[in-house]
Amino acid sequence: MRIFVVLFVLAFFLFGVAVMRIEINRSGRTISQLQNEVEIKEARNQYLQLEISRLAGPANITRLAQEKLGMVPAKPHEIVLLEEK
Amino acid sequence: MFKRKSASPFVFNVKSRMRIAGMVILLAPLCIFVRLFYMQTFLYEEFSSKAERAIYNYLAEDRLRGKILDVNGRELAESVRTHSCGVNKRYVKDKNKTVAFLSETLGIPKKRILEKWNRSSNFFFVAKKIKPDNYIKISQILRKPLGQGLELTPEYERIHPYGDSALDLIGASNSKNYGLSGIEQMYNRELSQDISKKRAKRARRGEIIYDRKLKEELSVANVYLTIDAVAQFYAESALKKAVEEIGAEHGIALVQEPKTGKILAAASYPVKDGQSLAFQFTYEPGSTFKTIAISSALDAGVVHITDSIDMDGRVWEIARGVVVRDNQHKKDFLSIPEILQLSSNIGAGKIALELGAKNLFYYIKAFGFGTKTDINFNGESKGNVLPYSRWTKVDTATKGYGYGVAVTPIQLINAYSAIANGGILMQPHIIDRIEYTGGKVEKKSKPVKIRRVLKEETTQIMKKALQSVVEAGSGKRAQIKGYNVAGKTGTAEKLSKEGGYAKRKHIVSFCGFAPVSDPQFTVLVVLDNPSKYTFGGTAAAPVFKEITERMLAMKGVAPDQLDFE
Repeated sequence: MRIFVVLFVLAFFLFGVAVMRIEINRSGRTISQLQNEVEIKEARNQYLQLEISRLAGPANITRLAQEKLGMVPAKPHEIVLLEEK
Repeated sequence: MFKRKSASPFVFNVKSRMRIAGMVILLAPLCIFVRLFYMQTFLYEEFSSKAERAIYNYLAEDRLRGKILDVNGRELAESVRTHSCGVNKRYVKDKNKTVAFLSETLGIPKKRILEKWNRSSNFFFVAKKIKPDNYIKISQILRKPLGQGLELTPEYERIHPYGDSALDLIGASNSKNYGLSGIEQMYNRELSQDISKKRAKRARRGEIIYDRKLKEELSVANVYLTIDAVAQFYAESALKKAVEEIGAEHGIALVQEPKTGKILAAASYPVKDGQSLAFQFTYEPGSTFKTIAISSALDAGVVHITDSIDMDGRVWEIARGVVVRDNQHKKDFLSIPEILQLSSNIGAGKIALELGAKNLFYYIKAFGFGTKTDINFNGESKGNVLPYSRWTKVDTATKGYGYGVAVTPIQLINAYSAIANGGILMQPHIIDRIEYTGGKVEKKSKPVKIRRVLKEETTQIMKKALQSVVEAGSGKRAQIKGYNVAGKTGTAEKLSKEGGYAKRKHIVSFCGFAPVSDPQFTVLVVLDNPSKYTFGGTAAAPVFKEITERMLAMKGVAPDQLDFE
């Protein structure tokens, strides 16, 4: 009788290990997929950030200010400096 | 009592039956065991490689790369992970559908894809560096019949958001993220990290199963330059305009902070990645070098600012057959500020002789000429200053007005900065800091004093003399309303391949600083071999003015002239 109990516990334990193993693999797969998605989103975000950098670059801003708004660079003596309090 | 009828061997008792049943039951595991033993021992390699292929995926070796940024954290170079899309013809199910899908997704005409298809034997790349959106679309169909035969290979694209700006400094890196030139190469070790090939378990459909072992500690660093992207843009745009206007071969513009030695802008035109002329170009500086010779003589006390120099009728024979002429003025005597204002070769030559070869050599070396600046830019030149023991009288005199000595733009601007900051030669630098993953910051741009070159009193005298060059001399076009500007023009003939100097090939330059009362910027402009005949005062001084004016406005430097309205 005792041997049956031992075998049953052992079988139950092994079953538990197997289930856990399957669950780990399943979770690992999900994490992997999510990581892949994160990577893609990050790459897309990086592209958009770079696009912002490009558009906010001095060359682009100067061109737009001159062409669209007719602005010219201010001469240094025309700038009024406010004293820091 | 029962009694057995016979003792037949075929009649089994319970014990025997159980033994036989046990043996039969054990036979199956025994067979399995034997088979397993055979497989493990004799077929090990075959099966282990099959299992390896079925269970594991090898992730490609990778190399990550950090960013290069300007002093304010604006990205000048950044790596973006992209993918190349390839086709393995053998596994494609439906050629027409696959080509149509690729054409629509990647925006490539079907005809072009089919051309590549027909040219290649089995594998070919349809597109490289595809955008993330397209990558998503393709990766979603990879496991479907339409996607069979398509392959996505990861690679990196080095992006420069400001286009060609500072590309001569930044340099280049390849698609494998390896630095090839410029800062990319100099700091390749800090910028890049190799991610080794890793074994990952994969699921039925080939997806990677995440494992803690796959996570790698990142150790790439971001390199911050002392360059200000806006200042760089000012220098580049002014330089480009000037080079194209006068048809020069090359142009160089440098902006330095005289008190710290920081390089705020280093522009070369035309731009070639990793080839910064500011550090690599050597030339005879001509009249901009008079400042060095005259300040040295004043510092040594061999001449005084109030002295007048005899012009010898504006034709001076240094030695037999070697004559120097001053055609730009009609004066018989010139004061030292006038020598600078009128850029008199006779005056500068005589002062150099008065100082003597040994002393002049000492000062030239003390200003940092003839040695590398330790800025550590790849291919930096050290210029050329021969030992004074090999100088003749003519050599000493000509060095006074910038011939017979070869300098680099970085050496010259650093020498002018020493005059601007009160006589101390600072260590120029181009790297501000390196930031490692984890927050460790290595500061590289601490102001380092190399040595005192001139007494402070000498620099005060020189500042006034150089200011007079801009106010009343050859540098009038460098004047900036509201600010006192000091500087010196230079127009030097280039060495001819046939020997001697080429009359039609020259280098024009201007080096100066502003505001004189408290110099914030030293700016050097060099224009090499203009096709139109120009002078430093007419071609380089306006570029200096444009750059300095915009720098003063950008940094909000208050005017030092009180009555400029």
